[in-house]
Amino acid sequence: MSATVSAADAWMRIRGLTKSFAGERALDRADLDIERGRVHGLVGANGAGKSTLIRCLAGVTTPDQGSVTIAGNELQMGSPQASERAGLAFIHQELNLIPHFSALQNMLLGAPKTTRFGMIDWKRSGVAARAAAERVGIRFPLDTKVSELSVAQRWLVMIGKALTRDASMIAMDEPTASLSEPESEQLFAIIRDLAAQGVAILYVSHRLEEVLQLCDRITVLRDGRIVSQAERGALDKKGLVRAIIGHAIRTPDARDRLAADRSRQPVFSARSIAWKQAVKDVSLDLYKGEVLALGGLVGAGRTEFAHLVAGLARPEAGHLELDGKRLDVANPSEAVKAGIALVPEERRSQGVMLQQSVAFNINISTLKLLRSVPGLPFLSDAKSRRQAESLVAHLGIKTPGVTTKIAGLSGGNQQKALIARWLNAGTKLLILDEPSRGVDVGAREEIHDAIRALARSGVGILVISSDVEELTLLADRVLVMREGRVTGELTGADITEARIIELSYHDAHDDQGEAA
Amino acid sequence: MTAETVPAAKEAPQPRKSSWKRTALIGLSRYGTIIGLLLMVLFFSINAPGVFLSRANFLNILSQASLTAIIASGLTYTLVVGEFDLSIGYVASFVGLIVTGLMAYEGFPIWLSIVCALALGSGIGVLNGLLVTKVRINAVISTLGIGTMLTGIGFTYSAFPIATGIPRAFTDISLGRIVFGLPNPVIIMVVMLLALWTVLNKTDIGQKMQAVGSNMEAARLSGIRVDRIKIFAFATAGFCAALTGTLLSSLLGSGTLAAADGYLLDAFAAVFLGSATLREGEFHITGTLVGVLILAVGFNGLSIFGAPTHFQPIFKGGILVLAVGMSALARRYAASA
Repeated sequence: MSATVSAADAWMRIRGLTKSFAGERALDRADLDIERGRVHGLVGANGAGKSTLIRCLAGVTTPDQGSVTIAGNELQMGSPQASERAGLAFIHQELNLIPHFSALQNMLLGAPKTTRFGMIDWKRSGVAARAAAERVGIRFPLDTKVSELSVAQRWLVMIGKALTRDASMIAMDEPTASLSEPESEQLFAIIRDLAAQGVAILYVSHRLEEVLQLCDRITVLRDGRIVSQAERGALDKKGLVRAIIGHAIRTPDARDRLAADRSRQPVFSARSIAWKQAVKDVSLDLYKGEVLALGGLVGAGRTEFAHLVAGLARPEAGHLELDGKRLDVANPSEAVKAGIALVPEERRSQGVMLQQSVAFNINISTLKLLRSVPGLPFLSDAKSRRQAESLVAHLGIKTPGVTTKIAGLSGGNQQKALIARWLNAGTKLLILDEPSRGVDVGAREEIHDAIRALARSGVGILVISSDVEELTLLADRVLVMREGRVTGELTGADITEARIIELSYHDAHDDQGEAA
Repeated sequence: MTAETVPAAKEAPQPRKSSWKRTALIGLSRYGTIIGLLLMVLFFSINAPGVFLSRANFLNILSQASLTAIIASGLTYTLVVGEFDLSIGYVASFVGLIVTGLMAYEGFPIWLSIVCALALGSGIGVLNGLLVTKVRINAVISTLGIGTMLTGIGFTYSAFPIATGIPRAFTDISLGRIVFGLPNPVIIMVVMLLALWTVLNKTDIGQKMQAVGSNMEAARLSGIRVDRIKIFAFATAGFCAALTGTLLSSLLGSGTLAAADGYLLDAFAAVFLGSATLREGEFHITGTLVGVLILAVGFNGLSIFGAPTHFQPIFKGGILVLAVGMSALARRYAASA
């Protein structure tokens, strides 16, 4: 199936591109040919290496090994300027546009401009931009401020910007993530049109139907390697999913998966929670003793749901219940008081206080317990040290001492300290968002043990993870979310990597529905 | 489409670049300010033994330092929570004017005037805090705006210095020596600094302030009411500024427009010098005191050697840049270590 298209005349040749982060191979000897006039699809699960590949091409990340030749010339690695000169343009999901600049100003930003007496000649500079706008089919006036444009129109501006600089290849990351159906169709038409004009398109998306429909060739990445390349029509959706998951699926022993006792009152319930476009009608029940996990792709609305529960934002519809009582939290402080704690996704920016000690980081949410005399605000150093030391021992946090700065600990031990923060805080529901991200395998297992022990002791545990293997190892029950909705539930022996990924890409009920 | 599972080659963790040079640099950045202070004392003691090295002169230095130390400690609180207060100098001037006005024009008793003055300062601090946290105006802008307004309001209240009708007992507050023959401002400074140090290091709210300053998002997720903590810090800064303003009026025996404006720069210089003391770029009360002493000893030495007065701003500005530079370097080394 791995169709090796005659490589001799390929416009861009990527050879042996390799990049490791902290010993992990994010990209492993990737070979890829890209031709002008074709739409190249790039798919893979979270962490498969798509972004690393793109970032290497963009010159934002310098690969450890490998080369890229464009039309016979070697591309200088690690230089965004060199990539731009070579005609590569990159459009990221968050669209780097300046909102209060006009579409025209944005399109010309950073591009070489015609000047007269050292002043920018807007009229003449605009010529190229207008021509580009024509090609993309921009129908709104170019002096419209970007802040007044719709997301779809902003995409057109970004593409126009790329064309203004004569881009030969445009890479697009999840372009349809925030577009409506008709808008997406319009974008596809433009993409096909661009390809017909000789532009190479690198199209990254989680939406497989879209990729199958649009792309001339599809490349699948898994664990940093290119595992499959197929021409249009050579793969159907099932085959694509299989390629993304891989053959070697490790099946964990279904050993001690706890079947929730649904006759009892749930510890925590969500009823029809909705928020903006991110969370749509999410309902779930969490039972005593179980580890409930939310699976799905990045951007499926899981983190947003966690934020709604933890008081970082307020649901626009629906309600939450804790121990059968209705819950209305306006901010994280109220959530914590009610017994809901969040161990956030971004450990460094939202979790640890790096300049502070291990003890400080552990004790910060339980200061009231550490007073010398109850009622007076003075803290007892002895109590603080004792609590920190006992939690450090309990969770097996490896640190020279509790007064050591937490910055000196490994990621896994920092994460354990963040869990320790909530053990004495009267926590009824602990939400862990990506609990083992950036943590080595050994520490991951210890974190899993700690989480499971907490669940069995009666704390409600809600785990969010994009690491499918982690879900199969840790969860007693998995709810899979896709585009803001819960699309499936897996229990017991059904919790496998394949099932989770399948549900991440399409709903349980239209399982058989589509044949590409 | 073959996918043999080859475990990713684990690379050996890079050994940390550590050398005696780095250790020395970190040591220097930690103890540099204290060493500098001691060297300054040593230098003046050797070169002007009779004048510099006397009980009278040391008490003089301490008295001068006390007003700066109080206002700078308040400022330290706002910096601990990651904010800024540019209004403190103006608050001190304004409150210094009002406190004399309350006695001279309104006939308030001394104690009540002082209570009102301190409440006024704290209130302005709360206002600053609300503007920064609730309205979300950048602290530089809001505190500068409020401070500038205070200058004008002070002018409206009394364009001329208020010098008559101030009770003798009020001026005695700063001139008296009730405890151990130490000037009263020194005693007030010691009490204030002890209180502020205790709150910052030994209480709930102090820990929460440090948490907010270290990582605001993490603090919020830990259940800390970030806004309240910041408002408290601004209120403390306002209180301390009001105390310094009141003591200055007592020292001068009058309420004068703009009398305390210069404390702003002194306080900033001291706090940033302090942040490079003992710790790596964190703001703390002990450090602030060291910073204040460096300034006071420096000014004292300059005047002993008969340096023209225009040398003072050169020294002050220079030390501020030096302090911020050292603090930034210390932070960078701390981050890379």
